[in-house]
Amino acid sequence: MSAADPASLVPYVTGGAFVLAFVFGAVGNKTDFCTMGAVSDWVNMGDTSRMRMWLLAIAVALLGSSALQLAGVVDLSKSIYPGARLTWLSHLVGGFLFGVGMTLGSGCGSKTLIRIGAGNLKSLIVFVFLGIAAYMTLRGLFGAFRVGVLEQASITLAPGQDLGSLAAAATGVDRGTWIAIFAVLIGGAIIAFAYSSRDFRARFDYTLGGVVTGLVVVGGWVVSGVLGYVVEHPETLQEAFVATNTGRMESFTFVSPMAYTLEYLMLWTDTTKIVTYGIASAMGVIAGSAAYALATRTFRWEGFRDAEDTANHVIGGTLMGFGGITALGCTIGQAITGISTLAMGSFITFAAILAGAAATMKYQDRRSGA
Amino acid sequence: MNFDKELDARGLNCPLPILRAKKALAGMQSGQVLKVVATDPGAVKDFQAFAKQTGNALLQHSEANREFTLYVQRK
Repeated sequence: MSAADPASLVPYVTGGAFVLAFVFGAVGNKTDFCTMGAVSDWVNMGDTSRMRMWLLAIAVALLGSSALQLAGVVDLSKSIYPGARLTWLSHLVGGFLFGVGMTLGSGCGSKTLIRIGAGNLKSLIVFVFLGIAAYMTLRGLFGAFRVGVLEQASITLAPGQDLGSLAAAATGVDRGTWIAIFAVLIGGAIIAFAYSSRDFRARFDYTLGGVVTGLVVVGGWVVSGVLGYVVEHPETLQEAFVATNTGRMESFTFVSPMAYTLEYLMLWTDTTKIVTYGIASAMGVIAGSAAYALATRTFRWEGFRDAEDTANHVIGGTLMGFGGITALGCTIGQAITGISTLAMGSFITFAAILAGAAATMKYQDRRSGA
Repeated sequence: MNFDKELDARGLNCPLPILRAKKALAGMQSGQVLKVVATDPGAVKDFQAFAKQTGNALLQHSEANREFTLYVQRK
């Protein structure tokens, strides 16, 4: 879509992001969609149902996003994920620390927003520390370490780091064909795995949570890549994706939006600051979760239990802020949105998050009851 | 309901209530009952899954004053 005044598109972008995030927040609350809980259920009691729900979301997002790409609706290479530079150490370290942080902090970025909507004041503190740490990693003290140390370990994959581009360069077969092949193979295998469980099939909430979350990410690409797309911005004379913090096409991710939400509140009188896609999505999740909690009378205030509980959440939020920015995303931003572009870095981050969360749970298991 | 041991998991969120319940049950005899008091909104679902996976029976659960009370019998 193009328009003489890109600013006129902003309400469509932020409104679309808010509505989709609202749906995700409500459904996430209802279905208990929780990526940390998925790891916990698996590691602590051998129950893989919520892991299958998360994987189903990945499969739906991958299949839907690939279909959009093949139909020419959006170009996923215009997002931040499939760039040529693979900062592998950042994905490993950032993902691992994010996994540690989400275990200490009662859930990942999206779960933090869902918990806030349901009345958890601990998650509100996580939001603040996560947002500050994320901002410090974008532009502050932690950012110097990220850029000066971690990002120095990188390799350049000239065609782009997504599996479609890499396979196309290696074989000569066009990228679109490979995207279709990978989407069907990976997505199909995940769906077959998810529904191979009787427990998973028996409870509709698992399907609901997985499918809706995946579709929200697909819809997110449309909002940014179609509603917010300007072929030629009148000021820069270049294409633009309006109301994004990255300047690129975006879908859902929840770490940097918390930083930008704090920035927006603190720099309120700076008229160049606007409610962006990310900020709207963070607010949408809180609103959707709150609406569900209030409608079902499950809203309840929760506070810290003791000093250790407080420390865990402060550290957890800080680690998620640093890790989420360093790894370019979270359990939604990389593990669903990023993987929907087939980017190598997204797969690395996903694995690192699982490792960080599982290791922390093993540690907690050893000292539980102490 | 009678119980043999009580676990106060109030104020704790996933995964800590489950981890502490595992630890408490590990020190109990077969047939003994653990009473768990929790405030995490996901506690009931978590303990239902825990019971199903581990074979420890979730005998009863109730909610009052924004607290969940659950009784888990060691297998």
